[in-house]
Amino acid sequence: MANVKLTNVVKRFGVFEVVHGANIDIKDGEFVVFVGPSGCGKSTLLRMIAGLEDISGGEIAIGGKVVNDVEPADRGIAMVFQSYALYPHMSVEQNLSFGLRMTGNPKADTERRVKRAAEILRISELMERRPKNLSGGQRQRVAIGRAIVREPQVFLFDEPLSNLDAELRVQMRVEISRLHKELGTTMVYVTHDQTEAMTLADRIVVLRAGHVEQIGRPLDLYDNPDNIFVAGFVGSPKMNFIKGHIVGRGAKEVVVELAGAEKTRITQPLTDAVPETGSKVIVGVRPEHFGIAGEGDADLAVAIDVVEHLGGTSFLYARTADGEDVVIQRDAAKVPDTSEVTVSIRKSYLFDEKGLRLR
Amino acid sequence: MRYRNATAYRFLTPYLLIFAIFWVWPIISSFMISFQATRTVPWRFAPGFNWGRLIGDPAFFNALKNTLLILVIQVPVMIALAMVMAVLLNSPLLKARGLYRFAFFAPVVVGEVAYSAVFRLMFSLDFGIVNKLLNTVGLPKIDWFSNVTPAMALIMIAVTWRWAGYNAIILLAGMQSIPEDVYEAATLDRVSKLKQFFFITLPLLKPVIVFCAVLSIIGTMQLFTEPFLITERGGPGGGTETLGLLLYRQGFRSLNFGYASAVAYTMAGLAIAITLVQLWLTREAK
Ligand SMILES: Nc1ncnc2c1ncn2[C@@H]1O[C@H](COP(=O)(O)OP(=O)(O)OP(=O)(O)O)[C@@H](O)[C@H]1O
Ligand SMILES: [Mg+2]
Repeated sequence: MANVKLTNVVKRFGVFEVVHGANIDIKDGEFVVFVGPSGCGKSTLLRMIAGLEDISGGEIAIGGKVVNDVEPADRGIAMVFQSYALYPHMSVEQNLSFGLRMTGNPKADTERRVKRAAEILRISELMERRPKNLSGGQRQRVAIGRAIVREPQVFLFDEPLSNLDAELRVQMRVEISRLHKELGTTMVYVTHDQTEAMTLADRIVVLRAGHVEQIGRPLDLYDNPDNIFVAGFVGSPKMNFIKGHIVGRGAKEVVVELAGAEKTRITQPLTDAVPETGSKVIVGVRPEHFGIAGEGDADLAVAIDVVEHLGGTSFLYARTADGEDVVIQRDAAKVPDTSEVTVSIRKSYLFDEKGLRLR
Repeated sequence: MRYRNATAYRFLTPYLLIFAIFWVWPIISSFMISFQATRTVPWRFAPGFNWGRLIGDPAFFNALKNTLLILVIQVPVMIALAMVMAVLLNSPLLKARGLYRFAFFAPVVVGEVAYSAVFRLMFSLDFGIVNKLLNTVGLPKIDWFSNVTPAMALIMIAVTWRWAGYNAIILLAGMQSIPEDVYEAATLDRVSKLKQFFFITLPLLKPVIVFCAVLSIIGTMQLFTEPFLITERGGPGGGTETLGLLLYRQGFRSLNFGYASAVAYTMAGLAIAITLVQLWLTREAK
């Protein structure tokens, strides 16, 4: 087992810089998830840790040893690919043992490792099959098995569940979580699905366009996002953003008025510098933080367009007077039957014009 | 549905007619001709005449031997060479890939007569560049056209030159369809590049290799151009005569169509038989 430390890691493809100085410190035994929209550089970062991509700048250390110039096979990592990357012409058993056989590992040890991996992943009955005769979930297990057989110090997963259907994805997610508990090995996991990130991670690294936006435990990111991007990315459905401006300020607080709703004023305590009166801000409200009128910091009148009933909860798709779309989460029993409704804002986040959190 | 099928067939009729007249009929007709004595006028039905001659004809066995010898040596060498070329073409280190791809493919497009003339020139006894090169490295000149062994070698070299690039392009296409991440997984598994080639690339390419081999076997069974043009009608003294050439000689020189048809059917039968054996040997394990 080992920790992984990225220091000012930069990646350039030709003149294109796609990772701009990432600093990430992954502790021994930790489950860290890289999450971000498509093309933000998650896979690139992971592949640099694996050694499949050169590091253009900075340093990557695994287990305290800088590995920039270490061969991929010598880094003590094992990787699970999005497309599984199984050897199509080999049986499951051969897929698992291929690496060890090719490198002259003692036969008895190879057999022991393969057997153990097969037991952990419950694929013992599939050992003679070819990958093309396996279901997606089974292939995924074999791919993970091949990683386990290497007995690595760090597991790397690149969107391992994205080719599975929704139900299987949930099932495999639980399975990977269980695997982490069982093995206790450091795991780095890439996904663009924030639900996967929230449910699996000890800590989440949120990436955008090659920048690390925030690193933190799932609930910290949810409760305390550093900026509008993280706020919008974490949580489902995503946070609503409503324009506003500052109409009053105290030493340690501001009063914000929402655009097009003079009566909706929110007073926010601030510990950092307090912005000028009149400056524009963005107010973030999570769908679940709207309440019954009068029970929150401020009330907001909205017009409802569509209501989605999911059973226990419902989502109200509505517009503010200023024409901004908001999503409101409600208990199914408390959905109003009028098209105009006033809701309260129970909790909100304040961001400046650049998207940075004001707090 | 039936109506639509009928319409489709009506559209296809002109083609089917031509196909039947110029393709199906000759096949049937030549089969029947092979059972006729065609050196007499009129031709008469004599089932044992041509086929009987075939099994005792030294010229036939000479041509068969030459054809099979070329097949057994040239096809494996060419496919191995094509594989090497494909690997090089596929290498990320290669610059100007498109140029090489074109260069490898070019021999197929070059006119047969032109290429044969160039080969005759290159291998000529006194003026050929090949003998000049041999001389400069201290080897004796070789008389490529008057001795059987060099002449056979020359045929094989020429055929290989002409078709290796073609096969390399097919193999390259196969190689490029193997996903990159399989190799990455193997790299992480500490499997060397050489072992990756033998344990991943080759097995995954097997269907493509078999395809190339089958094409080459069929092509070589019909080999005609090179021994006709380069070694001048199978010279020296029938030393490079192939079945294709024998067929031509019997059919169009001696106008003995019955015997030529029998040779043609033998060639086709052998090509099918060898291909079936090949497919059986390389069949997918159940
Ligand atoms: N070999 C390459 N050459 C040039 N640019 C590349 C290369 N590989 C990736 N990129 C670029 O680097 C950026 C990051 O790519 P990366 O594959 O890491 O994204 P990602 O976050 O994994 O996205 P996804 O969720 O779609 O997998 C992208 O803009 C991509 O176009
Ligand atoms: Mg990716």
